[in-house]
Amino acid sequence: MARRPSTPEVVLTHAAIVGITMVTLYPVLWVLEMAFSPSQSFSMDLSPIPSEVTLDNFRDVIGTFDDEGRWLFGRQLLNSVIVSVATAVLGLSLSTTAAYALSRWSFPGREQGMAAFLVTQMFPGVVMAIPLYLLLDLFGLLDSRTGLVLVYATTSVPFSVFTLKGYFDTIPVALEEAAMLDGASRWMTFRYIVLPLARPALAVTGLFSFMTAWNEFILALTLMGSEDAYTLPVVLQGYVGDFGTEWGRFAAGAVIVSLPVMALFFALQRHFVEGLTAGGVKG
Amino acid sequence: MILWLGAAWGADITVWHAYRDAEEDALEAAGDAYQAISGDKISFVQIPFDGYTTKLETTIPRGNGPDLFVASHDNLGKWSAMGVVDPPSTPVEGHLPVTIEALTVKGRVQGWPLAYKSLLLLYDKALVKEPARTTDALLAQAKQLPDGVYGLVFEAGSPYSHGPILHAFGARALEPDGTAKLDTPEQAAAYAFSKRLAIDEGIVPAQPTYVVMETLFDEGRAAYVISGSWFVPGRARDIGATTLPVVSETGEPMAPYLGVDAIYRTPDAEPAAAGFAEFLSRGEGARIRSEQGGQAVSDASVTSDDPIVQALAAQARNAVPMPNDPNTSSAFEAIARSLLSVQRGARTPEEAAADAQEFFDVFSRPLPPAADPRPWLAFLAILVLGGLGLVAQRARDPELRARVSRHASDYLWIAPAGLSMSVLVILPFVTGAAVSLFAHRAGEWRFVGLAHFLDILLARDFPITSPLSFVFTLGVTVLWTTVNIVLHVSIGMALAMLLREPWVRLRAVWRALLIIPWAVPNYITALIWKGMFHAQFGAVNAILGFVLMRDGPLELDWFGSFSTAFCANLVTNTWLGFPFMMVVTLGALQSIPRDLEEAAEVDGAGRWFAFRHVVYPMLKPALLPAVVLGSVWTFNMFNVIFLVSGGEPNSSTEILISDAYRWAFKRGNHYGYAAAYAVLIFGVLLVYSRSANRLVGKKVI
Amino acid sequence: MASLSFRAIQKSYGSTKVLHHVDVQVGDGEYLVLVGPSGCGKSTLLRCIAGLEDISAGELWIGDRRVDQMAPRDRNVAMVFQSYALYPHMTVRENMGFALRVQRRPPAEIEAAVLQAAKMLELEHLLDRYPGQMSGGQRQRVAMGRAIVRRPDVFLFDEPLSNLDAALRHHMRVELKRLHRRLETTIVHVTHDQVEALTLADRILVLNGGYVQQFGSPRELFDTPANTFVAQFIGSPSMNLLPAVGSGGEVRIEGVEGALALDRSGPFTLGVRPTDLVVGSGPLKGRVDVIESMGAEALLHIELGPHTIVAQVPEPLRVRVDELVPLDVGVTHAFDRESGVRL
Repeated sequence: MARRPSTPEVVLTHAAIVGITMVTLYPVLWVLEMAFSPSQSFSMDLSPIPSEVTLDNFRDVIGTFDDEGRWLFGRQLLNSVIVSVATAVLGLSLSTTAAYALSRWSFPGREQGMAAFLVTQMFPGVVMAIPLYLLLDLFGLLDSRTGLVLVYATTSVPFSVFTLKGYFDTIPVALEEAAMLDGASRWMTFRYIVLPLARPALAVTGLFSFMTAWNEFILALTLMGSEDAYTLPVVLQGYVGDFGTEWGRFAAGAVIVSLPVMALFFALQRHFVEGLTAGGVKG
Repeated sequence: MILWLGAAWGADITVWHAYRDAEEDALEAAGDAYQAISGDKISFVQIPFDGYTTKLETTIPRGNGPDLFVASHDNLGKWSAMGVVDPPSTPVEGHLPVTIEALTVKGRVQGWPLAYKSLLLLYDKALVKEPARTTDALLAQAKQLPDGVYGLVFEAGSPYSHGPILHAFGARALEPDGTAKLDTPEQAAAYAFSKRLAIDEGIVPAQPTYVVMETLFDEGRAAYVISGSWFVPGRARDIGATTLPVVSETGEPMAPYLGVDAIYRTPDAEPAAAGFAEFLSRGEGARIRSEQGGQAVSDASVTSDDPIVQALAAQARNAVPMPNDPNTSSAFEAIARSLLSVQRGARTPEEAAADAQEFFDVFSRPLPPAADPRPWLAFLAILVLGGLGLVAQRARDPELRARVSRHASDYLWIAPAGLSMSVLVILPFVTGAAVSLFAHRAGEWRFVGLAHFLDILLARDFPITSPLSFVFTLGVTVLWTTVNIVLHVSIGMALAMLLREPWVRLRAVWRALLIIPWAVPNYITALIWKGMFHAQFGAVNAILGFVLMRDGPLELDWFGSFSTAFCANLVTNTWLGFPFMMVVTLGALQSIPRDLEEAAEVDGAGRWFAFRHVVYPMLKPALLPAVVLGSVWTFNMFNVIFLVSGGEPNSSTEILISDAYRWAFKRGNHYGYAAAYAVLIFGVLLVYSRSANRLVGKKVI
Repeated sequence: MASLSFRAIQKSYGSTKVLHHVDVQVGDGEYLVLVGPSGCGKSTLLRCIAGLEDISAGELWIGDRRVDQMAPRDRNVAMVFQSYALYPHMTVRENMGFALRVQRRPPAEIEAAVLQAAKMLELEHLLDRYPGQMSGGQRQRVAMGRAIVRRPDVFLFDEPLSNLDAALRHHMRVELKRLHRRLETTIVHVTHDQVEALTLADRILVLNGGYVQQFGSPRELFDTPANTFVAQFIGSPSMNLLPAVGSGGEVRIEGVEGALALDRSGPFTLGVRPTDLVVGSGPLKGRVDVIESMGAEALLHIELGPHTIVAQVPEPLRVRVDELVPLDVGVTHAFDRESGVRL
C-alpha cells in the first residue's frame, strides 16, 4: 500500500529534482561547449551555449595515426578498454573470494585481515608510483598491459572487498547450507549460489574497478613506454601543454572518455540501486 | 670515421618529447630527413607535459629511457646530478651564446640547444598602432582605450612573469651559486611595481590567468599581452609582437627569462644518437624547425622572416637564461607567495621581500645531518626478530594452532587478494615510506633517521600558527574532510530520498544525469569550477550579483581569503562527491521496507520524524563503511585543492596531501620530507579509523 | 534408507553446553519428531545431524556409517529449512535438480527425478516459476521436492510448517504423513508444536534446556509423561498440575476442601488432563470462571481454591459462569514435588 502523495508534494519534488539536476549539469555544459566550439581557448562566457558548433575537436582527437599509418586513437581506445575490462575482471576475481571468506568464516586473523584491507586505502598514492615502477621493472612488466592491469586491479581490491562483503553479509546462510546438503562443495556453493545472487554487487564493484583503470593517468604514463601503449587518460592529458592547454580537444576527449562510463552506469543502474549495500534476498 | 658510420648504420634511435602541433610536425620532418641521409631509424614518442619530468627521472636512471629527449633546460641542474643526461662529447658550437650559457652546468654543456623561448610584448594590432617602448607610455596608451578594454593582461601572479620586472629592478630570483637574495630593496621595489602595474593602475583585469588572457584577447578586450610565442597560434585577432618595454622607474628594460629547448643524450643511448642530436640542433635540422615549426632556433646561421621569431631574436639579446639550479623551484615558490600577498594588499613590499627570503631559506635549507644508520639497522633487526618471536610464540599456542589448521583452507580464499595487496600495495608503500628516513637534494640521498619527522612535528621550520606548519594544515584537512563528508552525505541522502519515490517520473534519467560529475574526469571539471569562481568573469559572481539584485556581478575575490577560498574548494568537491553518496544511499534504501515508515506516519509522526527515527537508523549501518572510505578519500583529495584554490591565499587552504606534493615537486624536491608527510597522513588516518570504530561502538569495517 | 543412532552426543559452544548426552536409536523408516520450547537445543541437534554444526563429543551413525566427522555433502541427508532456503535465482526445476546437477548426473536422469518428485507433490505446473513468484505453501512443497529428489538416507525437517497459516499447516501435516508412508524413509522433524509432534511422529524426542526429557511413542508420552515438563508440554490444553498430599487412601489438594479417593501417601504433584476431569459430581467444588466454547467441546476455567484448572467437557453445557460445580478426577498422574519425575 503506497501512500498517495499530494499534488503540491509531487510538484515540489519534481521541481527540486529538476532544479538540482540543472545546477549539477551547469558546469558540465562548459565541457560540452568547449568540445563543440572551434576555438582552443578555455570558455569563460556566462552562457555555456556555443556560438558556433563544429565537430573538429572530436575529429582531431579521434583521427590520430602513428608512423606506420595505423589508427592510433583506435589502438589507445582498445588499450583502455582491454586494461579497464581486465582490471574489472581481475579485481573482481581477487576480491570476491576474499570478501566471501571474510564474510562467512571466522578464521584466526580475520579481523586483522579486514583492518589491513582498510589500511591500504590510507596510503597516499604519491609515494607509491616510483616503488611500483621499480617493482614492475624487476618483474619485467613495464610497458605491458599486464603490469598495468595488475596494479589497477590490486588498487581496486579494498573497495571491492568492502562492498562485496557487505552484500554477502545480507545473503541468508541457509541458502549455502542447503547447497552444502545438496552435496555442493564450498567452491560449488560459492560459484553456483553465492555469486549469481551477488550479481548486483558484482556489477557495482566491477564498474568501480573499471573506473579505477579508465580514469587513471599518472601510473599509465609512468609505466607505459610508447604512444601505442597509452590509455585514453594519457592521451587526454597530452592536450595539456607546458604553456597552454588545447581546451577544445581536451574537452572533446573528456566527453569521449565520459560516455562509456555513463553508458555503463545507465545499463547497470538497476543493479546499482540495489547493489551497493544491501540486498535483501527475498525468497 | 667510415668504420664508425658503418657500425651505426641502421641504428634505432628513440626520441621522447612533449611537443605538439607545428613543433611536433617539424621534429618528425627533421627525423625523416635524417633517416634519409643516415639510414638510422628515428622514432618519436610524445609524452604529456604533465608527468614528463617524473617519467624522465624515473625511467632514465633505470636504463629504460629513450636515447634522446627534448626538454627545456630548467631542470638541468638536477638532471646532471642525477645522471639523467650524458653531455655531448664533442664541442657544441655555432649557437647563440645565451643558449649555450643556459645549458651549462658546472662548466660543461649538457646537451644540444634547439630553440629558445621567452615572454614578449604582444599586442592587438587593431587597438595598438605603435607599440609602447616604456611602461609609462604603455600606461598612457592604456588609459586612452575604450571602456571594457584592458590595457594589459599578463600573469601577474606568476614568478615567471614577474621575472622581467625583477630584472629591470636589478634583482634576480637566484644567484649564480644557487643562493638567493630575496629580501633586498630591489626585490621590494619590484613587488611594489608589480602591484602598481597589475592592481593600482586599473589597467589589468582581476586574477589575470592565462585563460583570462586568451579570452580577453580573442574578444578584442586586451590591448597588450605579455606572453610567449605559444600564445600566438589560434588567436582570433591580428597580433603584433615586440620586445618588452623599459620600466620607466629604473630606465632598465624588462628582461624576461630565456628558456632553451634542447635535445639531450641519455647515459644508455645508442652511439649513433649523437649524430641525430647534432643534425637536429644545427643546419638542416634547425632550418626545418624554423620553417615548419616556427621555432626561434639557437643556430645563429638560420634566419627567419616570421615577425614573432624576429621579435624573439631581438628579445633574446636582452633576456636572462632561466636558472637551471635545483633551487630555482624553491625561489619561485617563495616569490610567488610574496607576490600574491603584496597584490592582495596583505603585506607591504618590504615585508613580502623578508617573507620570501625566510621561505627560501627553509625550502633550500641544508640537509639535516647524516645519521648513523647502524642503530637503525639494529633497531630494525630487533623489530623483525621481535615480530618473528611473537609469531613463533603465538604459533606454539595449541588452541590457535588447532583453529588455524581447522580453517587452513579458508586462507586459500583470501590468498590471491592478500598476496597481490602485499606485493603491489604494501611493499611499495613501505618502500616509499622508508624514503622518509632519507633527505634528498639534487639527486643526492642521505640517511637522516627521524630528522624529517622531528622537523615536521616540532614545527621547527614554521611556527604552528603558520599555514605551512603541519599542525595548521592538519587542522584545515580535518575541517575539509568533516565538512565535505557532512555535505556529501546529507545532499546524497536527500536526493536519494527524493529519487526513490515511485511516482517520480523519469527516475532512471535523473539518476543517470546526477552521476555525471562522477563520470567526467575531474581534472577538467575542477578547472571549470575554478573558472566559475573567477572574481571578475566567473559565473558564480555573476549569478550571485543577479540573485542579490546588484547592478552587475558581485566582485568577490574568492581566493582572497581563507573562508571564501575554502568554500570554493568545498563547493567543487561537494559537486564531485555527492553522486557517490547518493548511489550508496539509494542502494541502502532498497533494504528498508516502506511500510515501517508508513507505519510511523500513520502513528502521527511527521515525515522528518519518520526519516530521523525510522529510516536514518536503518541507513546508518549500511552507510558507515562508505562514510569511512569516503572520508579517507576526501582526506587525500589532491586534485580539487591543487586545481581550484591552489592553496591560496598564502597556502592556507592547502591540505596535507597537496602540501606534501609541494614539498616534493615545488619546493626543491624534498622527497624525504614529503614522504614523511605521507607517513604522517597514514598515521592520522589510522587513528581516525580506529576511533571511528570506537565511536560507533562496533566494527564499522 | 537407514537407521539413525545418537551415541552419547554432546554439543557445546565454548563453555556453554547446549546438548547434554543425547543417546537415542531411531529405526529405519521411522518418523522422529524433536520437540521442545525454543532454545531447547532441538534445532542444534538437527544441524548436528546435517553436519552444519560439529558435535563436541559422542558419535553419530547413519545406518552402518559413522558420519559425525563427515562433511555435510557426504552424509546423504536432505534438509528442509524453516525459511525453505530456495535458491532465488533458480526456477523450481533448477532448484529441485540442483543436488543431482552437483553430482553430475545426466540431464535426462535429473529431469526424470524432478518430474517424479513434482508429480508426487503436485508441482508440475510450477516447474518454470521462480521462488519469488510463488505462495508460501507452494514454496514449502518445492522445498520438500528438493529434498525428495535426492533420495537421501534421512530427511531433516526444520520447523517446515511454521511459516504457513493454520489451514495450510493442517493440510501439509496430512501431506507429510502421506509422503512418509510412500517414501518409507527415516525422517527427523523439528517443531515446537506438540500437535505436529503427536500427529506425525512414530516416536517423539522431547528436549528441554539441552536435556532429553523423554523419548517414546506419542501414546507413551501422552499416557505416561516422564516428568512434569513433558506432562505440560504434550497435550493441549496442558495437564493441570496441583500440589497434593496423600494419606490413608485419601489425597487432599493444598488449599482445597474435600478429598479424592486415591491411594498415595506423602506430598506429591497431582496431574490431571483436562479431559480426565469430571464436572457435575465429585468431592471437590470449584467456581466456573471463564467458558471457552469450541463447538463440540468447551473449556472450563475453574477456580479451585487458590488454583485455576482447566476442564474439557462435551457441549452442550449445563453450567454457567460463576456457578459452583462439583468435580472429580478420572485418570491421574503423580510426580515428585522436587524433581518433577513421574512417581
